[in-house]
Amino acid sequence: MTDKGAIIKKVILWVILSAVAVVQIFPLIWLIDFSLGTSNEMFTSGLLIIPEKIQWGNYVKAFIDGHFLLYLRNSVLINGLAVILVTLFSIMAGYACRRMHWKLNGFVKTLLLLGMMIPIHATLLPNYKIYHTVHLTDTIWALLIPYIAFSLPQALFLMTGFIEALPIELEEAAVMDGCGIYRIVFRIITPLLKPSIATVAIMTFLNNWNEFIMASTYLSSHKWKTLPFSVLEFTGQYSSNYAVQFAVMALTAAPAVIVYILLNKHITKGVAMGAVKG
Amino acid sequence: MKKLYSNKLVIFSLVLPGLLLFVLAILAPICLSIYYGFTNYSGMGHAKFIALDNYKALLSDKTFHRALLNSLLLAVGFIVIQHPIAIIVAAVLDKLQGKAEGFFRCIYFIPNVISVAVIAYLWKFVYNPDFGMLNNILKGFGYQGKINWFSADTAIWSVLIVLIWHGFGWGMLIYYAGIKNIDPVLYEAASIDGAGSKESFLRITLPLMKPVIQINVTMAVISALKQMETVYLLTKGGPGDSTQFTANYLYLQAFKAFKYGYGNAIGVVFIIICLSITVSLNRFFREKKQK
Repeated sequence: MTDKGAIIKKVILWVILSAVAVVQIFPLIWLIDFSLGTSNEMFTSGLLIIPEKIQWGNYVKAFIDGHFLLYLRNSVLINGLAVILVTLFSIMAGYACRRMHWKLNGFVKTLLLLGMMIPIHATLLPNYKIYHTVHLTDTIWALLIPYIAFSLPQALFLMTGFIEALPIELEEAAVMDGCGIYRIVFRIITPLLKPSIATVAIMTFLNNWNEFIMASTYLSSHKWKTLPFSVLEFTGQYSSNYAVQFAVMALTAAPAVIVYILLNKHITKGVAMGAVKG
Repeated sequence: MKKLYSNKLVIFSLVLPGLLLFVLAILAPICLSIYYGFTNYSGMGHAKFIALDNYKALLSDKTFHRALLNSLLLAVGFIVIQHPIAIIVAAVLDKLQGKAEGFFRCIYFIPNVISVAVIAYLWKFVYNPDFGMLNNILKGFGYQGKINWFSADTAIWSVLIVLIWHGFGWGMLIYYAGIKNIDPVLYEAASIDGAGSKESFLRITLPLMKPVIQINVTMAVISALKQMETVYLLTKGGPGDSTQFTANYLYLQAFKAFKYGYGNAIGVVFIIICLSITVSLNRFFREKKQK
């Protein structure tokens, strides 16, 4: 191939990649741009605006009136707990289904995996009724229980695969030394599963971090609401002040985007591993 | 060793949390749904048993049909528009090396980590007739009219664009991971034999990616079926029922139209549809593999 052909090919490559990148990212740039101006400036004809004075006040309003800190704390707490418990439960159940000898192991595993195919939305109505009857609405449990339950099937699926790949000789040696099952699971297996745990944790986190339809069905007060509610509640409050609405959107998107950019290599790997297996 | 590994009490304690959660959060609600699906419960007061009336009504419910049709449209949109672009971009990205590869991969995935709430409201503004991004772009090309992107005829396409845009990074990443798993020796051998990049894409990448494509297509169909949040926030299924999706419809029936019983009947049918489509797609692809 001639040099000229190689250059042309490279240019085409870059054009494709850049065009898709612009389509994917431009709405977000537009969002940040408009969040820094005043609402009046939006009605000028250009695609992007150059704010006369950068309106940091939009972000102050978004931060305070959007209950940003409270909702961020709730999101971090609920998702953190969900990730820890999903990981723990999936290791336990995965180990029991893969390594232990019992009659029902295939059945229980299939039953638990069935959860992957059940649409969350079909459980919204009955779960609301259940939580309402046992007074769990508006508590942290109303989110934790379904978040864990619906992340567990996928986590279990991944974990059983990972556990299967571990050499059994290690466990045999541990049994010779007099280890019980619990010690084997938590002291020997768990540390070996570190990369897999990262994958499960990332998948669980991505599944639940942006969830809002369960939250908006089961919660009524501010107490446990999560980050998406900053945006949802704001539109009513500042219905005509568009710039502040843009600011609150940028602000609530920021934590996940920043964490993603910082950890993007690990997250990509985790998602890829999880997805190819799943 | 054998005794240790078949201790019933230990096994029970290990699977208990998972089983308990499954029963509490998935199985019990489904059973409750089946029960309420046979009643005319409004959400308050008394529930009266009406046997199969809800299901009979559902058979001739035009909105429900529209919702299924929209899911089909979305699935086709994913498969015909999103996935081909995603595969090509993934293949091209694989050819890049170093910083640029990571940079583009990162950018493509960013919309995926942003909350649906932000995405939906952002696109509402993008489509805004007065200062929205899209109309401003059209203005740049000299078009002066104001397009209403959420009219009865256009709304479903506007919704599809958002969903295809939002899910792009996820699909791309899965293809990208699949391509990374292909042995580079194959490409080297092909280029020694004189194959151009087009041939090696068609002859090596695509055939070897078959299993990944099958997984991705299955997931796309399921997610098209399960679509709710974006539509709920963008259009609430309107105008009319033009952007209705099943999950959104059952939600509105139960909580806005006070037909809780009917909503649950839709839920039951919805679960059956999801289960049977997942199972039959898997079976279809498995049978093809065996041939």
